[in-house]
Amino acid sequence: MSSPKKITLRINGVNETLEAPAHRTLLEALRDLGHVEVKCGCEKGDCGACAVSIDGVAVDSCLTLAWMVEGREITTVSGLGDIENPHPLQKSFSDLGAIQCGYCTPGMIMASKSVIDRNPNPTDDDIRVGLSGNLCRCTGYTKIFEAVQDAASVMRGEGDKQ
Amino acid sequence: MSQQNISADAQPNVKYNQVGKSLTRTDAPGKAAGRTPYAGDYVMPGMLHMRVVRADIASAKLTRLDVTKARALPGVVCILTADDVAGREAATDIPGQTGQKRMDTDQQILVHERVKYYGEPIALIAAESRDVANAALELVEFDLEPIPGVYDPEEAMKPGSPIVQGIDNIVAEHKIRKGDPEKALAEADLVIENTFHTPFQEHAFLEPEVGLAWTDENEVVNIRVSTQVIEHFRAIADAIGVPHNKVRIRGALVGGGFGGKEDVTVEIYLALMAKATGRPVRLEYTREDSFVGHGKRHPFKLTYKTGVTRDGRITGMDVYILADSGAYVFLSPYVLLYGAVAAPGPYKVENLNVYAQAVATNNMFTSAFRGFGGMQACAAYEQQMDEVAKALDMDPIEFRRRNYLKTGEAISTGFVPPSAIWTEECVDKAWAALGEPTVSSDHIKIGQGIAAYQQSYGRLTFLHDTSECWVGVEMDGTVIVRSGVTDIGAGQISALGQIAVEVLGVTLENVVIYNSDSAVTPLAGTTTATRALYMTGNAAKMAAEAVRERLSERAAREFDVQVDQIHMAFNVVSVIDNPDKSMAFVDLVKICASEGIHRSELSMFRAPFSDYLNPETGQGQAHPDYVYGAQAIEVAVDTDTGEVEVLKSIAAHDIGQCINKAAVEGQIEGGTQNGQGYALSEEMLYEEGKLVTPSFSEYLMPTSMDMPKVQTILLESRSGLGPFGSKGIGEPALTPVAPAIANAVANAIGVRIFELPITPERIIKALKEKQAAN
Amino acid sequence: MPVEYELDIPQSLDEALNALASDNGSSVTPLAGGTNLIIDIRSRRERPARVVGLDYVSELRAIDCTSERVTIGSRTTVTDLLDSAEIAKAAPSLVDAARVFAGHMVRNAATVGGNIACGSPAADLVPPLMSLDAEVTLSSKSGSRTVALADYFTGYKQDVRNADELITQVAWDRLPEHSVNTFRKLGRRKGDAITVTGVALTVVVEDGVCQRARIALGSVGPTVFRARQAEALLEGKVLSNELFDAAARKAASESSPIDDVRASAEYRLHTIETLTRRLLTQAWARLA
Ligand SMILES: Cc1cc2nc3c(=O)[nH]c(=O)nc-3n(C[C@H](O)[C@H](O)[C@H](O)COP(=O)(O)OP(=O)(O)OC[C@H]3O[C@@H](n4cnc5c(N)ncnc54)[C@H](O)[C@@H]3O)c2cc1C
Ligand code: FES
Ligand code: FES
Repeated sequence: MSSPKKITLRINGVNETLEAPAHRTLLEALRDLGHVEVKCGCEKGDCGACAVSIDGVAVDSCLTLAWMVEGREITTVSGLGDIENPHPLQKSFSDLGAIQCGYCTPGMIMASKSVIDRNPNPTDDDIRVGLSGNLCRCTGYTKIFEAVQDAASVMRGEGDKQ
Repeated sequence: MSQQNISADAQPNVKYNQVGKSLTRTDAPGKAAGRTPYAGDYVMPGMLHMRVVRADIASAKLTRLDVTKARALPGVVCILTADDVAGREAATDIPGQTGQKRMDTDQQILVHERVKYYGEPIALIAAESRDVANAALELVEFDLEPIPGVYDPEEAMKPGSPIVQGIDNIVAEHKIRKGDPEKALAEADLVIENTFHTPFQEHAFLEPEVGLAWTDENEVVNIRVSTQVIEHFRAIADAIGVPHNKVRIRGALVGGGFGGKEDVTVEIYLALMAKATGRPVRLEYTREDSFVGHGKRHPFKLTYKTGVTRDGRITGMDVYILADSGAYVFLSPYVLLYGAVAAPGPYKVENLNVYAQAVATNNMFTSAFRGFGGMQACAAYEQQMDEVAKALDMDPIEFRRRNYLKTGEAISTGFVPPSAIWTEECVDKAWAALGEPTVSSDHIKIGQGIAAYQQSYGRLTFLHDTSECWVGVEMDGTVIVRSGVTDIGAGQISALGQIAVEVLGVTLENVVIYNSDSAVTPLAGTTTATRALYMTGNAAKMAAEAVRERLSERAAREFDVQVDQIHMAFNVVSVIDNPDKSMAFVDLVKICASEGIHRSELSMFRAPFSDYLNPETGQGQAHPDYVYGAQAIEVAVDTDTGEVEVLKSIAAHDIGQCINKAAVEGQIEGGTQNGQGYALSEEMLYEEGKLVTPSFSEYLMPTSMDMPKVQTILLESRSGLGPFGSKGIGEPALTPVAPAIANAVANAIGVRIFELPITPERIIKALKEKQAAN
Repeated sequence: MPVEYELDIPQSLDEALNALASDNGSSVTPLAGGTNLIIDIRSRRERPARVVGLDYVSELRAIDCTSERVTIGSRTTVTDLLDSAEIAKAAPSLVDAARVFAGHMVRNAATVGGNIACGSPAADLVPPLMSLDAEVTLSSKSGSRTVALADYFTGYKQDVRNADELITQVAWDRLPEHSVNTFRKLGRRKGDAITVTGVALTVVVEDGVCQRARIALGSVGPTVFRARQAEALLEGKVLSNELFDAAARKAASESSPIDDVRASAEYRLHTIETLTRRLLTQAWARLA
């Protein structure tokens, strides 16, 4: 039987400590620490609602063990921006109607960021492939595609296309 | 923004400042920043964690239940079984604030003796931590002795079949009759008969059912829960044996509902446990719990006999509908009624016979789901329209054109919808936008299809539906809206704000909306039945207008003009004929405040009330009004593999009047995804009632790679009963999608598959049969 | 409480192999991307007492391409494959598979070693690797050995790996010029789907004659396997449509699919045949 240990996670630039057994997933750990912006939709890697980035790479936090990511840079959607100073993706998602119930949004934005980080000028097809691990039941994705394109153009310094 | 949207304005001169625009929804920035707390995001000191122990056989007798080992596990605080809720049941009938008589459809809360469906709850566990609750789940011991079950509604109706509900498993029946259908069919030039099957469907909201309950200083059980219906507090109070004012539901913004959070989900379990332990308790369903824990869309079998003349006029129609209600009744009678009323579709059928039955089985119980019976009917009648057109060798749109129901004409129940019927306009616009088909190649066949529909908005009128909203203006000119309405993601509350600011002449940034607290916000009814905008939107408009009237009266005095000369927009109050005379909205508010002029209003909107339909003929009023529109689809079918790709998806709906354009488009785009999954890939497979696809890797809704960009065409007849002539779009968005896809596939491969979903496997089978027949 | 286990986080390959050697490896399980294992533990399909996390064993995450040979470390992720220009050239089928593998986040975590070791007949990287004649290197404290991937699986989720061994790399000789190497996955939807049937194909042609044919099939038997009889029909022949028909039928007859929630055996047989024929025809068109 394994005993819990104290681990330190670096979340959105801040070190936070918690007691966790080996099987504690990053999703559980983040939510226990109050990072409830990270959502749980399936705990099986099927939905992407729990996506966060680790050292700049998007992963499903439900399939990641907390112990394995000690000392690494964990970013959640709240680490990208806030209501006053939103990240271009947060702004385009909210202005272009890409958010309905919003439950998929934190993961969807993290995956979208990963799409743009990998390719600042993504085609619609790149976006489709990049978001296929993020289920959304509300939007039909049409406005999400538009929001990602819009944010990408802002991030390229071209201003939004609206 | 998409530029493709065309609007055919009925009154192009109507100018709104806020209404109709694609404003950023009030709830969006918080959600984008991860700042919006959902029901599952709340915790309390001393909170316990719950799990539900479920039956793993669909039809069985519980012969032994032993929780001693689980209770002995350190950290387990309480385990409840049927013995702890002896004599209590949970109501599963339509939730209502209306006091109308309910059906007798109560259900056991925990399995007492008889298990009727796979996943039925047997015991509730509360523990100090999630880990302990999970471990305890495996320590609860029980024996289930299988009892012969029945898993097919047709079997369930046969004499001698195992009885699941009532005396013969038939839990609901509806009839609609007008004209002389027998004679009409006998005399028709051609009678086409087909039977269509529609499947179970899972709502698949991304946020599983979740809640947190605690007992407060007044002995009130508070439940923070993800629900479409806060007014279940009454049924919950009845189930746990306390007065209605001792249960308070505090909703939260809901992570998707689609009808799946219309019935009670976790609330009663939470309330029981909070009372039993005296501690806050939290219950979050796993995805698998969610798959087996709430009702599904009813599978329908629909047999259509359509009589036509050679020149393509429908002379008579006979429809038989059989719905699988699963193990408990829930909303089956109402879903079935929607199906019956919708059966002929948006067409004029003078001689009509509809007979509909819902039958209990040991399958998962079925209940509300976006489209609510009306969409199952559409899945059949629109495929039947294409089949009849084919038999007549007539263009499917031309055949429809000869039979459209027109504005001012009566629907199946003899009721004349009070609004415009723009089916033809929608069909023509959607079809035109589809354009020329992509060229077929070797093993890729292209097909196009259309489907029109009629779908109600607003609840059944015999339920006597009402809704309340309060609007008030603060001293700094900001606005507060309070209403019990729940927001399930469609922008329900933001729309109330948009209506209030239009009327009051302020801007959306200046509004805060408080919603979904059963004790504090004025009760607004359910967020179901495409009613939130219609009902609560009207209440919000009435309340805002009452406030505006008082403010503008005072302004008229200030400017010494008639009241109808007062213009209020963008936080400025001015005189229409003399815009130099103006003042800031906030200054007017201050004057009113200092003079004691009432700056708030609570309004109630009442839908039309009717009696129940004539039980023999089904004639009368069923709903307040109806929405009409169409979907056009182009698909590519790979004849080697049976794969279907949706290339184009075009939706044209007369939504009456947009409140928030982007939100309307969003409903349509999302409804299209839901309908596409229903048509092609979403499958709930059961073996002897046991769900064998309880995850998102087995139950397959369309991903970003499966969806085309949906193109939306909005028509605004401004004839609806909602605020500013709006209708509703929540359910209609979904209704025509599946039959349009089915028609496109049939067009592509030249053979129809009469059962949804149209899987690659079914396509290959149909192609092989066709080949063998040739 | 069955979910619980010990977790080792070795910092080097040696440390990892030592950790695997404890208890003779009997209930020690390597953890790579976790995209299978974490779910299997949660659902109690796996009950390891000790888990060895490989995240920091950086030796295992490498792609090495020489003019002769391609070597991929077992901890290489599916995304690493997609990002590698060299893999795109050296193993088009692997890229075809990587592109339709799960969703973005899972691709970022899932590894080549995990895909092989999980032993699933639906593992998408395996048919491509098999069609490339890849060899698997297994290492333990006591040494290393190399096994042909085609001989690696012994039955459904059964393989030749000893409990204390780690898959450290897969490698193969580069294909000659006149060759085509492709993969087609059939799922129940386009995005993030488990494979219903998968076909990987390598055809090497010289002077109009097929020198080498490899047809590796996924999800139509207890393991991924090579349709050796179908391959034999093609090798040494001048290719033709008639031959493709025969080879496709043969590939189907070598398959032994089952019915499951995703598809029936009958449908799988049908699509093995149609997809094999299609890939062969397309390959031929490209070589001509
Ligand atoms: C949502 C989702 C979608 C998926 N889609 C696909 C798909 O499209 N195609 C597909 O093929 N798979 C898919 N998978 C399955 C899974 O992602 C792959 O099989 C993946 O390659 C497994 O790799 P991993 O690194 O995550 O393995 P892990 O989960 O870490 O390990 C899997 C198994 O391999 C063992 N193992 C891992 N590394 C080694 C090693 N170096 N030596 C010996 N044993 C080892 C582990 O002990 C374990 O038994 C999907 C999974 C999810 C959750
Ligand atoms: S919760 Fe992690 S992918 Fe669904
Ligand atoms: S917005 Fe509701 S799931 Fe995406």
